[in-house]
Amino acid sequence: MALTDKIQQEFNALEKDLTALNSDALHRLRLQAIGAFNNLGIPGNRHEEWKYTNIKTKLPESITLLPSAGSSAPAYHSFDKIATTKLVFVNGNFSKELSAIKPETGIIITSLKEAYSTHKDLVDKHYGKLVQYSEEHFAALNTAFATDGAFILVKRNTVIEQPVFIIHLFNNADTFTQSRNLIIAEEGSGLTFVEDFQSSGSAAFFNHVSEIFVEANASVTITKLQTETVNATGVYTLEAQIGRDARFTCNTFTFEGKLIRNNLNARLSGQNAEAHLNGLYYGTGDSLIDNHLLVDHIVPNCQSNQLYKGILDDEATGVFNGKIFVKQDAQKTNAFQSSKGILLSPTASINSKPQLEIFADDVKCSHGAAIGQLNENAVFYLRARGIPEEEAKAMLTFAFANEIIETLQSEDIKAYLTEILRKRLNISL
Amino acid sequence: MLSIKNLNVAINGNHILKDFSLEVGKGEVHAIMGPNGTGKSTLASTLAGKEEYEVLSGEVFYKGENLLEMDADERARSGVFLAFQYPVEIPGVSVTNFMKAAVNAKRRHLGQDPIDAKDFLKMMKEKQALVEMKKDMVSRSLNEGFSGGEKKRNEIFQMAMLEPSLCLLDETDSGLDIDALRIVATGVNKLKTPDRSFIVITHYQRLLNYIVPDYVHVMFNGRIVKSGGKELALLLEERGYDWIKEEVAV
Repeated sequence: MALTDKIQQEFNALEKDLTALNSDALHRLRLQAIGAFNNLGIPGNRHEEWKYTNIKTKLPESITLLPSAGSSAPAYHSFDKIATTKLVFVNGNFSKELSAIKPETGIIITSLKEAYSTHKDLVDKHYGKLVQYSEEHFAALNTAFATDGAFILVKRNTVIEQPVFIIHLFNNADTFTQSRNLIIAEEGSGLTFVEDFQSSGSAAFFNHVSEIFVEANASVTITKLQTETVNATGVYTLEAQIGRDARFTCNTFTFEGKLIRNNLNARLSGQNAEAHLNGLYYGTGDSLIDNHLLVDHIVPNCQSNQLYKGILDDEATGVFNGKIFVKQDAQKTNAFQSSKGILLSPTASINSKPQLEIFADDVKCSHGAAIGQLNENAVFYLRARGIPEEEAKAMLTFAFANEIIETLQSEDIKAYLTEILRKRLNISL
Repeated sequence: MLSIKNLNVAINGNHILKDFSLEVGKGEVHAIMGPNGTGKSTLASTLAGKEEYEVLSGEVFYKGENLLEMDADERARSGVFLAFQYPVEIPGVSVTNFMKAAVNAKRRHLGQDPIDAKDFLKMMKEKQALVEMKKDMVSRSLNEGFSGGEKKRNEIFQMAMLEPSLCLLDETDSGLDIDALRIVATGVNKLKTPDRSFIVITHYQRLLNYIVPDYVHVMFNGRIVKSGGKELALLLEERGYDWIKEEVAV
C-alpha cells in the first residue's frame, strides 16, 4: 500500500480513538488538516521548496504514524546540571518519570495531551492558528496526527530566568513520530527554552511542529539542538508570531542527521518587533541538512536578522533558503541576512538561495551569501608558526563555527556545543 | 646557519629568483635591500615554505638540513620564522589560543610535554612587555582590527614567544610611523643572541638605523648584485638605486 493511502487509513483509526480527547474545534481542525494533506501529499524533489531535499525516498513504506505505545527510555544526555525544568518525550509520548516540573507561579508547563483537557480554552484559542497547513505538507500531516508535545504558557509580566528544556528521545524506528508544541508568552513576559532531539544512534523519523505566540513586549529565545541524531530523518517546523515591541530569537544547531529539515517561519505582526534567526550546521558522512527560513514583515518599523553558517565535510549536503518578505505596509523595515558556508571536502555541497520579496519602498534590506573553502592565506599563517596543517584547518573551522555559538547567552550550552566541535575537529584548545 | 646556492624560483610561471646565492652565519644580521619587484619578498616566502612558490633549481640548507624538503610548518618548528609583511587577520582565533597551539606544536617537535598554563601566561606577559603590547591584545582575535603598528608588534611578539634560530623580517617597517618603528626595532634588538640570525628585508634604509646589519646586500632582477657592510645602506639612502642598475648594466 502506498504510504499516503496508509496515512488516510491510520487517520481514520486514530480519529475513532480520539473522540474522548478531541474538543469539537480540534476534531474539525484534524479533518481539515488531513484533507489538506491528501491534496498536498509527500513532496518529491519536483516541488520547488523540496528541490534539493528528497524526503520521499527517505521515508519507508512500512512506517506508522499512530502514536507508539511507550517503550522504555533509551540512555540519553540529560543536561542534568542545567535542565532543572524539563519535559521529556519518548517516541513522542510524554514521560512523567523522566520529566522534572516544579510548580512555579506565573507559568504553566505541562504536556499538550494534558492541556487538551486541563486548559481547553487556551488550547482552542491558540492551537492551529499559526500553522499554514493548507500549504505545508508536513504541517498538515502533523496537525492531523499530533496528540502530544509541550504546552508552556508564561503569564503576563512574568520572566522565567532558567531555561526550560524540551527533550525528544527516539528509539523506535517503525514510527514516524508526530509531536507538537504550543508555547504562549503573554504580554511583557520572558521565556527561554532549549529543544533537543536525541536518537542515540538508532534510526528515527519525526515530524515536529511548534507554534509560538510572542505577545506584545514579550521575549522568547529558543535554542534548538540536533546534535545527537546521526540516524534521524526529521522535519521541524516552527511558526512564531511576534507582537508589538516583542523580541524572538531562534538559534538552531544541526550537527547530525540523515536528513534534517528546519522550517522556521517568523511573522512580525506588531510594530517594533524583532526576529533573530541564528543557525549553525555541520554535516558529515552523507547527511543532508536543510534550513528554510522565512521572516515575514507585515507592519512598519520591525527588524530582522538571519545569520547562518554551514560546514560540510565528506559527502554531506547543505541547503539554505532564506526568505524575507516585506509587505506593502511594512515601511522602515530593517532586514538583514547572511549565509556563509565552508566546504571541507570536494564531495560536499551547499545549495544556497536567498529570496527577498520587497513590496514597500522605504526599507533597509541586505543579504550576503558566500560559499567557499578555508582561507588559504590564513592556513599558511598558522602553519608558518609551526602549527600542522590539519590542526590549522581545524582551528579555523572551529573559529568559523564559534561565531554563532558565541551569540548564545547560556555558558553551559556554549560549553556543550564547543565540546562537540572540539571532539569532532580533534582540537584541544 | 643558512646556505642558499643558485636558487631559482618562479611564481605563476614568472621566473623571479635567478641563481640567488647567500650564506648566513650564526648570529649574523643580513639586510637585503633593493627596488620594488626584484624578488625580496619572493625570497622570504620561499624560505618560509609558501607552496605557490615553485623552486626550479638550486639548494637551501638550514643547519645542515635540506630546507626545501620540509613543509612550511615543519620549517617553523625547526626554528625558521617569517615576520609577515601583511599579517593575516583571523577572526575567531585569539592571539592567546594561537600562541598556545604554536608553542605546543614546537614542544611536541622537541619531545616535550604541552606547556603548563601558568608558565605560558608568565611567558606571554614577559614577551608582551618586550614590544610594549597592550595587555588586552592577546585576548582579541588574531590581527583583526589591529592597526598597522599593532600587527607588526604582534609579529615580533610571536617571534619572541617561539624563539627561532633564523628570523626573516619581510618589510617589517612598511606602514609604520617612527614611534612604532622604534618599538618594533627595539624588540628585535632585544632578541639578538649569538646563536640567532636575522635576514632583514627592507626597501628603505631607515629601519637599519635601529637594527644595525653586519652585511647589506642589494638585490636586483632576482639576484644579489652588490654586497657590503652597513655603510652600503647609507650610500643607497643617499644615491638611490639607479647607480646600481647602471653598474649591473655595464
